[in-house]
Amino acid sequence: MSVTLDRPATLTMRSAARHRLWRGVAQVATYLGLAAALVFFLGPFFWIVTTSLKGNEDFFAYPPVWIPSDPSLKHYTGLFTRSSGLRYFGNSLIISTLSMLAALVVSLPTAYSIARWRFGGGFLSTLLLVLRMLPAIALIIPIYLMYKAFGLTNSYFGLVMLYTVVYIPFAVWLLVGFLRDFPVEIEEAAMIDGCSRLRALIAVVVPIIAPGMAVVALFAFIATWNEFLFAIVLTGIETKTMMVLVTSFTTGGTDQFYGEATASVVLGVLPAFAVAFMLQRYLVKGLALGGTKG
Amino acid sequence: MRLFALARSRKQWEPFAFASPSLFLIAVVILFPLAYAFYLSLLNFDLSVGPEAEFVGARNYVEALVRDGRFLGSVWNTAVIIAPSLVLELLLGLGIALLLNRNIRGRPIVTALIAIPAMVSPVMAAMAWRMLFGVKFGAINNLGRQLGLIDVYFDWFATPFLAILAVVLVEVWHNTPFMMLVLLAGLQSIPQELYDAAKADGASPWQSFWSVTLPLLKFTMAVGIMIRMIDLTKLFGLIFILTYGGPGGSTETVAFNTYLVGFKDFRMSYASALSYLIVGGVLVLTLVFMWIQRHREARAA
Repeated sequence: MSVTLDRPATLTMRSAARHRLWRGVAQVATYLGLAAALVFFLGPFFWIVTTSLKGNEDFFAYPPVWIPSDPSLKHYTGLFTRSSGLRYFGNSLIISTLSMLAALVVSLPTAYSIARWRFGGGFLSTLLLVLRMLPAIALIIPIYLMYKAFGLTNSYFGLVMLYTVVYIPFAVWLLVGFLRDFPVEIEEAAMIDGCSRLRALIAVVVPIIAPGMAVVALFAFIATWNEFLFAIVLTGIETKTMMVLVTSFTTGGTDQFYGEATASVVLGVLPAFAVAFMLQRYLVKGLALGGTKG
Repeated sequence: MRLFALARSRKQWEPFAFASPSLFLIAVVILFPLAYAFYLSLLNFDLSVGPEAEFVGARNYVEALVRDGRFLGSVWNTAVIIAPSLVLELLLGLGIALLLNRNIRGRPIVTALIAIPAMVSPVMAAMAWRMLFGVKFGAINNLGRQLGLIDVYFDWFATPFLAILAVVLVEVWHNTPFMMLVLLAGLQSIPQELYDAAKADGASPWQSFWSVTLPLLKFTMAVGIMIRMIDLTKLFGLIFILTYGGPGGSTETVAFNTYLVGFKDFRMSYASALSYLIVGGVLVLTLVFMWIQRHREARAA
C-alpha cells in the first residue's frame, strides 16, 4: 500500500483504469465461456426435442429446418401406439419406483446398524465400497443362468430384485452419512418413553431424515431408470424398459424412424432433467460413486 | 448413555438383526453369483454346444491373456478411448469449474444446466449423438453444410480413427459435467484467505493459480480421475448404441467384448473368465482409489 501512495497520482489512476478494463474483459470472457459450454452441453437436447416435434417430416428438408414449422405430437402418439412406447415407458416407471422403494426399506436398517453400532466395522464398509465399484458385466452371466433356471427372466420381480440389491451398497453408504448427523439424544428420549428401537427408528428418526431419504430415493430411481445391461439381457417383449426400446431404433438405420427415435430419447431423459434440479446440492456426492449408474 | 449401554448388553443381536436383510440379499444376489461365475470360469461351459461341461482349470484365463487377440485388442481399444477422454474431461471440467467459481450471476442455475448430461443414461446420450452424427439428416452434417465447413455428407463412423473420435466426443459430452462438479466442489473448499495472502504478496492471478489452486486441487483431481477411470473400464451402453463395436471391432471395449462372447456366442465359461479379468482390473483401480482417499484424509487431519 505504502508503495502506491508514493507514486505520482496520474500513474495510479492509469493503472486503476487498466485494472478495471482487464476486469471487464475477464468478466465478458467468463460469460462467453459459460455460454459456449451451455451450447455444447444443451444443444443436443434442443435438437432432439425440436426434431421430435417436426410433424411434417421437416427433418428430411435441406436447407435444414432448426425450428419446426408445424409442431405436432404426432411422433409421440406414433411411438406410444406403433412401437408400444407407452407400455415400455410404464415398465420403466413401475420397475424404477418399486426398486427405489425396496432399496430404501432394506438399506435403512442396515445403515442405522452401521451408523449407531459401527456394525461390521471397516470390513463391511470396504466390502460395500468394492461392491459399489463391481462391474455389472461380472454379475450378468451367473444371474442370467440362475434366472433362466428359476424362470425369473422377463419378469418384473426378477429385475426389481436385482436392481434393489445392486443399489443397496450405494444407498447404505449415503444413508449412513445422514444418520451420523442425527442426534442420538432424540432417539434415547423416545426409547426412555418405552419405544422399541425399531419403533424409534420408524417413528422418530425417519420423519427427521426424510429429506435425506428422498435424495437416496431419487438417485435410486434415476439409476434404475438408466440401467441398460441387466435390462437388455433379462427383459422380454412384455418387460422391456425405455433403454431397451431405444435399441430397436438403431437397427436398419435411424433415418426412417427419426421422429419416434427422438421422441423416445426425450422421454428417456425426462427424469434426468427433473433430478438435476432437485438434487443439485447432492449431485457431487451422488454421482461420485455410481449414484446414477445401475 | 447408561440406558444405551444396558440395552446394548442385553440386545447383542440387534445390530445384526438390523443389518441382516440387506446382508442376506447381497449374499444371495451378488456374492453367490460371483462365486458361481468364478466356478463357471474354470469350466468349458458353452450354451451353444450343450449343457455338458468339464473342468479345465485356468485354461480360459490363459487363452484370454495369451492367445485371444480379440480380447487383448479390446483391452487396447478401451485404453485408447480412456486416455483422451480423461485428459479432455479433466481440462474441460477444470476450465468450466474455474469459470463457475468466479463471481458470476445465476451460478446455481448454470451449474444445474451443465450438470444435466451426467444424469442422462449412456444409452440415451449415445442415441441422441447417433442421430446428431446421422449422415443425411443429422444436425452435425446439416450444420456443417449450411456453414460451408463441409461439402459432402460425411460418415462419422467410416474409419476406426473417426469412430474412436466420435466415442470420445460423446463420452466427453456425457461425463465432463461430473468432473466439473467434483472440481467445483474442490475449488469452493479452498479458503479465500489463501488467495488474499497470495495477492498481498504480489502474486498475479496466473501465479496464484499455479501455487494455490492447483496444489490444493491435486487430490480432488486424483479422486475425479480415478472414479472416471473405474467407470470407463466398464464402458458398455454407449458403445452398444453408438457403434456396436465397429467398424471392424475398433471400438469394442472389454465389457462389450465380454457381452458379445456371453450373449451372442453363448460361451458362458469363457465370458465369465473375461468378466473376472475386468473385475481384477477394477479391483486394482479401486484399491488405488481407496489409497488416495486415505491419503487425502490423512492430509486433511
